[in-house]
Amino acid sequence: MRRPCGTFDTSYGQDLAITRTRFQWIIAVIAAAFFFCVMPFMAGADILSKVNILAITIIATLGLNILTGYCGQLNFGHAAFVAVGAYISAMLVHHLHWNWLLTVPFAAFGTALIGLIFGLPSLRIKGFYIAVTTLAAFYIIMFIFLRGGDVTGGINGLQLGAIQIGNIAIDDERKYFFLIMIFLVILTFFAKNIVRGRLGRAFIAVRDNDLAAELMGIDIFKYKLIAFAVCSAYAGIAGSLFAAYYGSVSVDQFSFRESIWYIGFIIVGGMGSITGTFFGVIFLKSIEFLVTSVGPSISSALPGLGSQSISSIMLIMFGLVIILFLIFEPRGLYHRWELLKASIRFWPLTY
Amino acid sequence: MDFTYFIQLVLSGLLIGGIYSLLALGIVLIFKASGILNFAQGDMSAMGAFFAWYLASLALRIELPYLPIMIVGMCILAFVVAFMIEHFMLRPLIGQPIIASLMSTIALGMVISGLVTFIWPGPGRVFPPLIPTGGINIGDISLSVGNLVSFVICMIVFGLFVLFFQKTKLGLAMRGTAEDQQLSQSVGIKVTIIFLACWFIAMLLASSSGVLIGSLQMLDRGTLAAYGVKAFPAVLIGGLESIPGALLGGLIIGVVEMLSGGYLDKLLGGGAGEIMPFIVMLIILIFLPHGLFGYKRIERI
Repeated sequence: MRRPCGTFDTSYGQDLAITRTRFQWIIAVIAAAFFFCVMPFMAGADILSKVNILAITIIATLGLNILTGYCGQLNFGHAAFVAVGAYISAMLVHHLHWNWLLTVPFAAFGTALIGLIFGLPSLRIKGFYIAVTTLAAFYIIMFIFLRGGDVTGGINGLQLGAIQIGNIAIDDERKYFFLIMIFLVILTFFAKNIVRGRLGRAFIAVRDNDLAAELMGIDIFKYKLIAFAVCSAYAGIAGSLFAAYYGSVSVDQFSFRESIWYIGFIIVGGMGSITGTFFGVIFLKSIEFLVTSVGPSISSALPGLGSQSISSIMLIMFGLVIILFLIFEPRGLYHRWELLKASIRFWPLTY
Repeated sequence: MDFTYFIQLVLSGLLIGGIYSLLALGIVLIFKASGILNFAQGDMSAMGAFFAWYLASLALRIELPYLPIMIVGMCILAFVVAFMIEHFMLRPLIGQPIIASLMSTIALGMVISGLVTFIWPGPGRVFPPLIPTGGINIGDISLSVGNLVSFVICMIVFGLFVLFFQKTKLGLAMRGTAEDQQLSQSVGIKVTIIFLACWFIAMLLASSSGVLIGSLQMLDRGTLAAYGVKAFPAVLIGGLESIPGALLGGLIIGVVEMLSGGYLDKLLGGGAGEIMPFIVMLIILIFLPHGLFGYKRIERI
């Protein structure tokens, strides 16, 4: 929140602005130009596919950060909410032959409804109890998808086929890139607007002390439910994008471990920070990409290790990263980023 | 679908429930003493059970009695693990919000399960015979002897723990710590030692339930993880702070699992026993937000 010397706010609008200085505007324009005009045409399909997965994961994680980071409600069922969005889209496309783009709002609202239902216990229970109820939500939702028969495709899942928007068939990584990026930009902006407005302040009040928040006139239950709905709507949109991107949906795409990954992203990135969400997802996913790309060559070089050892090393690393972040930097990478920016501004002085 | 079938399901559910009670007891104990919900209980049981299997197979190779070696080895492992967890993970995390403690135990579970997969990869293992197999018939009801013996072992372990908790000095110190950490520190109880002891006991309970599950079925990480997950409904139904609640919750979960498996699987196509415990837990929590015997907390600002 520190700003360069001599930058003052003279109105509330300026105080809330996302880009406050001319330098930030220049950076934003250059970054946007790079991401939308240069990178998609320079990068190969393999890099673009990784960027696409990153972007969809960021969308899902933004929702969780609003719920957990801002409103303080734990959610161990986030992967299941992503799955709900994916399945709603897939069912509408597969059974009713809708256009995929039309299914996105249905996925968002349908998932928000499911999230509301599982947010209802937060009226009476909190803390550890709510964490375990979201765990229950995960198992119940995934059970329904697994046993849904022809409607959900059971263990085989559903196929969506090629996605068509207007006259454009979305068939290669670059087209997916633009589609996903449009969603990402809009949803990031939306998330930023939620958390810097009245809603976000209410969330933070509920997180910091819910009884005090209630005494100040904040309807805790209403805001907790809104947070659950927003979180699951984000998850729904992300799930819908996953369904479109992979072209198929099945139960094993959404494991309980995915839910843990989402919480890991916001811990590493920084809880209660939209920018931190980006850091967390990019940091941890890059490690994952690195391991999965290096892994096969390692296991071929050392045949004694076996195929399971790469995934187990990945597990150990991920667990250690989370524990180390919790111990040494509980505020996440975002906090480091702020410190770095401050030290650059004051350079060569220390403060 | 008659009455004997029902009784049969209830009885076998109770027998299975003993194992859930043991796992739940470990979770409750850690929560009471340190206010941390241990999500790694299933993985800890996998680690203990695989280590015990390894020792047993070593002992078989050099023709020594494997049971005492397993028990001693499990105690040593429990001490090492408890020391590592308490010293390197929990001490730095004192005073952090609950998500930090929750996530640290989940991450711990991932590290442990990764280690177990790394050291003992591949398919499941088979224990050397520890508990008898076969079945007995009481009237029309048939029960597995293995389940019966494991239930008896569970109840003995549970009883020993309760005796320890109620009668010994360390148990008294533990109860004091559970009541109020600062107060017990001020009367000279070393709270860190108590934490260490709690994690030691929890690890011991986890590995013994892991060994029991492993010798009833095959020793497999997935099975143990599933048992660990289902210990949570048991804990929450009984109430997070209640030791009798852990016993009762575990038995309830066992019965619910067997009943739903027996009656609902035909309707749903299998797997009902996996989720019915969660649904029952949700229903109970809506009416009793603190479980059956949990503390009703009065909050102040």
